[in-house]
Amino acid sequence: MNATGERWGLTPTWRDHALGLGLCVLYIALLIGTADSIGLGRDEGIYVDAAQRYGGWIELLIRSPSQALERAAIDGAFTANHEHPPLMKLLFGLGHLVHRELQIFASDSQSFRFAGMLSAGALLWIIYLFGTRLYGRTAGVFAALSFALLPRPFYHAHLNAFDMPITCASTLVLYNYYVSLERPRRAWLVGLTFGLALLTKHNSWFLPIMMTAHFGLCAVVELRARKLGQQRRLSLVPYALVAAVCIGPCLFYAGWPWLWHESWPRLRSYVAFHLHHEYYNMEYFGVNYFWPPFPISFPWVMTLFTVPLTTLLLGIAGAGRSVAAALRALIRQPIAADATQPSALLLGALLTPLIVISLPSTPIFGGTKHWFTAYPLLALFAGRAFVEALALLPRKAAVWSKLQPVGLAGVLLLPAAVETAHSHPFALSHYTVLAGGVPGAAEKGMNRQFWGFTTRSLVPYLLETLPNGGTLYICDTLYTSFQMLIRDGHLPATFRATPDIARADYALVHHEKHFAEVDHQIWTTYRSVQPAHVLLYDGVPIISVYKNPSRR
Amino acid sequence: MRFSVRTILLLALLVVPLAELSAHALIRAQVPALSDYRAAVDFIRKEMQGRDLISSAPGFIDPIVRWQLGDKIPLAMAGRHDTAAFERLWVVSIRGALPGEAPDAEPELRRVFGQVEVLRYALPKQQVLFDFVGSWPGAEASIVRDGVAKPCPLRSNGTPRGGGLGKGVLMPVTKRFECDPRSPWLFISDVVLEDLQNEPRHCIWQHPQGDEPVQLTFRDVPLGAALVFYGGIYYEHERMRQGGAVDATIAIDGQVQGQFKHEDGDGFRSLRIDTSKLGKERATVTVSVRAHEPRARSFCWAATTRREAAP
Repeated sequence: MNATGERWGLTPTWRDHALGLGLCVLYIALLIGTADSIGLGRDEGIYVDAAQRYGGWIELLIRSPSQALERAAIDGAFTANHEHPPLMKLLFGLGHLVHRELQIFASDSQSFRFAGMLSAGALLWIIYLFGTRLYGRTAGVFAALSFALLPRPFYHAHLNAFDMPITCASTLVLYNYYVSLERPRRAWLVGLTFGLALLTKHNSWFLPIMMTAHFGLCAVVELRARKLGQQRRLSLVPYALVAAVCIGPCLFYAGWPWLWHESWPRLRSYVAFHLHHEYYNMEYFGVNYFWPPFPISFPWVMTLFTVPLTTLLLGIAGAGRSVAAALRALIRQPIAADATQPSALLLGALLTPLIVISLPSTPIFGGTKHWFTAYPLLALFAGRAFVEALALLPRKAAVWSKLQPVGLAGVLLLPAAVETAHSHPFALSHYTVLAGGVPGAAEKGMNRQFWGFTTRSLVPYLLETLPNGGTLYICDTLYTSFQMLIRDGHLPATFRATPDIARADYALVHHEKHFAEVDHQIWTTYRSVQPAHVLLYDGVPIISVYKNPSRR
Repeated sequence: MRFSVRTILLLALLVVPLAELSAHALIRAQVPALSDYRAAVDFIRKEMQGRDLISSAPGFIDPIVRWQLGDKIPLAMAGRHDTAAFERLWVVSIRGALPGEAPDAEPELRRVFGQVEVLRYALPKQQVLFDFVGSWPGAEASIVRDGVAKPCPLRSNGTPRGGGLGKGVLMPVTKRFECDPRSPWLFISDVVLEDLQNEPRHCIWQHPQGDEPVQLTFRDVPLGAALVFYGGIYYEHERMRQGGAVDATIAIDGQVQGQFKHEDGDGFRSLRIDTSKLGKERATVTVSVRAHEPRARSFCWAATTRREAAP
């Protein structure tokens, strides 16, 4: 433990990497084992389309590099979904290419999703290392498991989307940055990983701001301590920031072929897209928000309603203890205050995304995923709280003392495990006990779902009702996502999607407040308000299915 | 008995997860089984009478109730504007919730089916003499161009196209008065429209064309004490509060008796026209709709004549 009680971790060894890798592999295995029941979400469908094009470009690059580097080939591949950087789509595409050649995955969707799962597994590894470095191995394991057992991140960890990869990249940058404070020779890793983060998603733009603010605090603490006679503990040269600024953008440019031509206008349009992002609908306490100002409380209440209570309280307790220790040191023992200020780094990185989403002008679509980068930090604080909680247990014989952490971890993680298991595969509809569970949240008028992925859960009904196939109006499900149900073998090719309610044999409505108009369109067209089936989760309607009376 | 801080913290460590698990189990245990709904609905079916209204609370169970009992819920009931046409209210309720339209009185009947409760309330004797929405095919539609009223023929050959967010009412509606084939939104028919609160409204679509009116005339309408008119436009056409006003005039035997102005942000609102002093038992009622800026003014209205001038 350092003098101020802010951290007491250890430098990870190869054993820690082995344990981190073990967590990673187990989590990926769990994700692969549970992915089949989650249909492709709307964004995933868009990224599958893009990944197939990017994958085609990789093939061309291998076959004919000079041709692949021509502008026509680059634009032909990378125009698709150019509002997001390419790294993950390239990896999704690569996964599918490998699957096409070697058939190593159980399904097409899994081949696209594998890179996302890999990032989720790697994230546990990083959380473990970060936790070990700050608060020891026990905290590291507990933090990694706390994160793994968050219902909504567990859902997103399955997907070929960017939210879990950017959470992984962001945490990795912060970890490397933190390590580089005491080991400046590793600053280049900050540059490298920041470049990868830039290539993953635009959330990465906030990392230099967080790191600069934190480094400024560290420098002040260090200078103050030196004035009081403390030895040099920290270099005041911001190597990591220099590396981030120098290497990151270069890697970003080099890794995104779309920017190789008309670089400036394309970069400007990418930035502008996110600075002036369009607004989507989001129900919050019974109101459908679609235009600013958005409620400031949204990310805080949604965190309260979706993170299991015990985990949340442990995280808050850990943050409180950690920040209190840091403040105590800064006020009472400035000479001994930790020059790396880990509590400030963790708390700053935890609060930044929540504060950004709280701004009334920030769009609030996407449920909780836009502040996932906060959750690894919350998990680290929970890990710290867990270790401190262990000290409360009565001392027992050696054999018992070894079992105590396991027993307490089991007790404290059991609610999260139960909630996560129960949330699958409806995690976007899942709310914890603070919201009154799924029905409580529905009664309060919280967003029910988005992305139309729940159509997958209708498959047994569709197969039973339409044994010879038929035409479906698929509401919020993207065409590519629906086709993936056929590619994966869940539905036979005799099922077809149609954009016309009137021409469908059956019409689906994914229940979200603003989708009520699709209900009404169906009522007017079919002259009936009676669904033929309603898909329920904890007694809450997820999808209504209407039979077209004029067909068959 | 005194507890140390350590003991209290230790207890909290055990109590919090235990409480969370218990709450989770309790919430799930209180979720009604589908068989509860089926038993409740079977009971209602047996007891239902002609002027009964079916409602559900909380609102999220509405699709389940329509699934089980939708054959007894016509568009007019699902998209109702008030309860004037009904004499009894059936409520399918869970979690102790009541709909806003439930009278502030004890229900005359209460039955429990597992986690589902059925309540029945008496409503005031139904007051509706004539429902314009239910009678639109028998009316006469016209569109005025250069001062001349041209009849809108009744068509029944439409197949609506598309569906989805932002599409509003799908066109062409199968059965409609077609006022201008080149402008497919200039038709008159009953539809279910999403209002500003995302609620369904069963109403007569009568989109304005400009300063000259689109008209619908009902002959031999029984008049009572009042004509109650509701009007509004489609959610996405209203929610940005950027559209112009829509004017509807209600003429009885050629005399304008009511003027209704819709402005964005109003949602669906009502206008009550006192007809008790007209001294007529039956009359011709014409609803004319205009808008100076008619783009995306998806006006839709509903009206009834009523015996009593209710509060």
